[in-house]
Amino acid sequence: MTTSPDLVVQVDHLTKRYRETLAVDDVSFSIEKDKIYGLLGRNGAGKTTVMSILTAQNFATSGDVRVFGEQPYENARVLGRMCFVRESQKYPDDATPTHAFAMARLFFPRWDQKLADRLIEDFQLPPKKRIKKLSRGQLSAVGVIIGLASRAEITFFDEPYLGLDAVARQIFYDRLLEDYTLHPRTVILSSHLIDEVANLIEKVIVIDRGRIIMDDDTDAVRDRAASIVGDTAIVEAFVAGREVIHRESLGRVSSVTVLGALSPEDRRRLAAAGLEVGPVSLQQLIVRTTQHSPSDTAITTEGAVR
Amino acid sequence: MNRTLSVIRMQFVNRQTYVWIPLIILAGSFVLSLLIFALIPTDAPKYGGAAQAPLWYLLAVGIQAMTMSFPFSQAMSVTRREFYVGALLTAGIAALVLVAVYVLGGFVEQLTGGWGMNGWYFYLPWIWEAGPLGAGLFYFVMAVLLFIIGFWSATIYKRFGGVGLTIVLVGIGLALVGLLWLVGRMDAWGFVWEWLMSAGAMGLTAWAAVVAVLLAGIAFLTLRRTVP
Repeated sequence: MTTSPDLVVQVDHLTKRYRETLAVDDVSFSIEKDKIYGLLGRNGAGKTTVMSILTAQNFATSGDVRVFGEQPYENARVLGRMCFVRESQKYPDDATPTHAFAMARLFFPRWDQKLADRLIEDFQLPPKKRIKKLSRGQLSAVGVIIGLASRAEITFFDEPYLGLDAVARQIFYDRLLEDYTLHPRTVILSSHLIDEVANLIEKVIVIDRGRIIMDDDTDAVRDRAASIVGDTAIVEAFVAGREVIHRESLGRVSSVTVLGALSPEDRRRLAAAGLEVGPVSLQQLIVRTTQHSPSDTAITTEGAVR
Repeated sequence: MNRTLSVIRMQFVNRQTYVWIPLIILAGSFVLSLLIFALIPTDAPKYGGAAQAPLWYLLAVGIQAMTMSFPFSQAMSVTRREFYVGALLTAGIAALVLVAVYVLGGFVEQLTGGWGMNGWYFYLPWIWEAGPLGAGLFYFVMAVLLFIIGFWSATIYKRFGGVGLTIVLVGIGLALVGLLWLVGRMDAWGFVWEWLMSAGAMGLTAWAAVVAVLLAGIAFLTLRRTVP
């Protein structure tokens, strides 16, 4: 396998089999340095398993994983540059968030205590309350704070928003982007709330039933479809013969999402007809394009919260 | 090495597990023993066994190190080896502190004639037969051994589940029964008792140390493929 300095992660034919299930099925992909990735997929699609194997917390059944060009297993040089707080992370018994952050500070050389303190305020986290007594949202906040303040070169966020309300989620997205701008690093954000993270991520990897079904730039994915808005009759005339993946109407105005990039000719016609091209929901697009698989493997908005 | 030291420091961030609870157990069992000594109306020496209590707590600490600290250490990007060595050293430090208290306590008991009532919590003659250093070594090895047993059991549980742990424990039980059978078969009970008597606390310590080192190795091999 060739190692490029710009590829911080290389996964080659990775397979993970549990006794009766195939959690990850012959997956290959790579991660570029200093980009924000969305690792999207339904609950149980294999997202956490992939991240666990990348951080050597779990083991591959077969295949090869390289992080910074090296095997991560028992490799302190490599592991020390990563941070992965899992969604169901366990903390030492009777530890408080303050304890957890004090411990994290010992291990992450780039730990920023000021940032941690600020995030504690932002999320209104009770720092002296025992972690096992925290609500689901507060527990997520502890993981998010460790992930952000560690400033690890590769940071994984595993469904970081579970139990967080809309305000707290927005705080997370804002702080992540803010800190990423100041301290660029590779971020891998696993999520099933696709539209929420759509504006954040530059790269999309969609995993479904242990297989990668999409791996592309977010913009390129968006260009795969277009949303045409305008007078229903005119819109319908334009979309005739195209593959429609979504249709919405309000009175005489329709918004129809069609698959396929728009040609310059299309754009001229649209302008002439007085139609507008609206933004496409990444979620819609992914749900529709993944529904083509034989059975229903779509990504749903509301996955069960464990 | 640096990160192994961090693992040790990590265990002491929350002082409850390694400092306060063992101190409470020690002080508690000590005070209870003295109260009971005072209740017994005899001038003959009264020996307590309660000094074991903090040692047994290390069994629980070993279990906790595995079930609680290990998963967190993984999130801290620590390798399994760094974590294991750090956890063992932490248990060693805790055991050393405990041993210091035991030996000092033994001296005080000797000076005060068993707290003025011939009651002995720390100073048990059979353990002290090789002097204060011997007693210290005995307690240290027992404490570390119990930690390793707790840690290994929890590791087996984590890796192979409750059934796996039960099978291993039953297996060890069977092996021990097999040993008993063998001793009986060879008509060697007299010899065994004699050997046990002559071995004394130091002999016991030496064997416990051998078992501890063996188990420590096995525990590490078990941990190497354990998923948090």
